[in-house]
Amino acid sequence: MMGKALSSDFLKIRGKGLWFLVFLGPIGLVAMQALNFGLRYDYMTQTYAGQLWETLLQNILLFVPLALFLGITLVSSQLANVEHSSNAWKQLLALPVSRSIVFSSKFTLCVILLTVSCLLLAIGTTVLGLSLKFNTDIPIGDIVRLCFMPLLASFPALALMLWLSLTIKNQAIPVSFGIVAAITSLFTINLSEYLPINWPIFAYLGPNQELFAGAGLALGAAIMLIGLLHFNGKDVG
Amino acid sequence: MNEWVIETKGLSKRYKGRYAVSNLNLKIARGDIYGFLGPNGAGKTTTIRMLLGLIKPSNGSVHIFGKALNKDKLSILRRIGSLVEYPSYYGHLSAVDNLEAIRRILDVPTARIAEVLDIVGLAKEARRPVKGFSLGMKQRLGIASALLGNPELLMLDEPTNGLDPSGILEIRELIKQMPKQHGITVLISSHLLSEVELTAGTVGIIRQGELVFQDTIENLHQQAKGSISLSVSEPELAMTLLKEHGINAIMNDSSILLEQTNNETIARMVKRLVERDHSIYRVEEKRKSLEDLFLQIVGEGKRA
Ligand SMILES: Nc1ncnc2c1ncn2[C@@H]1O[C@H](COP(=O)(O)OP(=O)(O)OP(=O)(O)O)[C@@H](O)[C@H]1O
Ligand SMILES: [Mg+2]
Repeated sequence: MMGKALSSDFLKIRGKGLWFLVFLGPIGLVAMQALNFGLRYDYMTQTYAGQLWETLLQNILLFVPLALFLGITLVSSQLANVEHSSNAWKQLLALPVSRSIVFSSKFTLCVILLTVSCLLLAIGTTVLGLSLKFNTDIPIGDIVRLCFMPLLASFPALALMLWLSLTIKNQAIPVSFGIVAAITSLFTINLSEYLPINWPIFAYLGPNQELFAGAGLALGAAIMLIGLLHFNGKDVG
Repeated sequence: MNEWVIETKGLSKRYKGRYAVSNLNLKIARGDIYGFLGPNGAGKTTTIRMLLGLIKPSNGSVHIFGKALNKDKLSILRRIGSLVEYPSYYGHLSAVDNLEAIRRILDVPTARIAEVLDIVGLAKEARRPVKGFSLGMKQRLGIASALLGNPELLMLDEPTNGLDPSGILEIRELIKQMPKQHGITVLISSHLLSEVELTAGTVGIIRQGELVFQDTIENLHQQAKGSISLSVSEPELAMTLLKEHGINAIMNDSSILLEQTNNETIARMVKRLVERDHSIYRVEEKRKSLEDLFLQIVGEGKRA
């Protein structure tokens, strides 16, 4: 059943700009670093000689949580809007498919889209490093961790934003909330590491990376469950 | 085995202390076309939403195909096609893709899409994005979506909303065929009795959330009592005469109106008038139209 719902959802997002968003995020991040390194190539290669890959990854990392939060906000809102914008809920939910499946299918679709985004970031980062003539000793492990650990740690945000977007018809509300949260995340890094908004960065930096990613998964699952229960019991207007 | 396709018991929905639907006992027989009538805000859409499990009843139960809706929801919904209120559609997709999105969930053959588009007369527009459709075309697409899964029960909430006269006729013909050709049971809501009069076998009339009439359309016809109208040369004098003989009549413009229509009274009245040299131009039976009766049934609540 999940497969059917998912294939229906893939059809419905055609032409909705979601794939554009999926490409925009990683390309934007890589382009920023291409400028950063390209414009001051000599300075950078001299100052950070021997640790160029690390420096590149550090620079990208600074913007990964922001990009993730923005991506999550826009993807989940746009996805929900497919159903909101033309009164489609009453048609969809009168079909022989459980609400849990409908909700989970949208969640899965978001995860797939974001995974593609993160994969593109990994590829883009590698290509950028190579074209900047960093050594060919590519830190593949670090790149993969950079691109996917923060994603796992941002599952609470994904579950929350999807829940809000699916249940609030006026998408200005979840989108504003998401954007404010994304920008706030740039300034909260010195606050407590218990704040879930900081988990994407700690899932790559410092000790206990797995702990932050794991906590993100767990909290994400919990929020998703609450959202699911709410969505299941909701009246469809 | 239950004989009713839809049966509700004490079905109610309360919004902020106010009942939008209260204590509804619907009974809809297999193969019937059930006209669900009521003025704006009577609770038709709210009822249909409850029948589809889109909203939860505050009280009461819904049984469809003899099964409890809250227990067997998905297997029941698989056998229902529905159109609720204004049309639902994905504007950025073509009509075919709209139906395909639903087909993937229903799991019917792809060929069914072309069939239903043909049935509702949208085959030529199938490839255009639906956001460029007129209201009537969107409504047709909604009906096509409802038919897609070969349903045994169709629930159509004001399906002719936005359709032109020929479209209304087409849809009416289409609905008429459903029970005959496919054994489908149809629940169709409307403001207008005239719209379902020619198709429905049974009508349910809802007023301010309460079911005030539920019977066959023949029995509704029976209730539409007639009256006798009389036009005579000197209506005023004639009135006085009738009063003297204890016949209750009312003046209406220049004609005399009798609520009683039994043969004796009419015969007696005509005889008396002729005896007194009144010229009788016309004796007409006026049947109250169904629409009048409907308005009367629906209107009674407002005066109370
Ligand atoms: N979500 C809601 N919250 C509060 N009241 C509601 C809600 N939905 C419906 N109502 C109220 O319930 C009543 C019945 O509404 P409903 O839409 O069922 O009427 P209807 O018979 O379909 O009318 P129409 O012919 O205009 O479509 C109305 O008074 C309406 O205001
Ligand atoms: Mg309505």
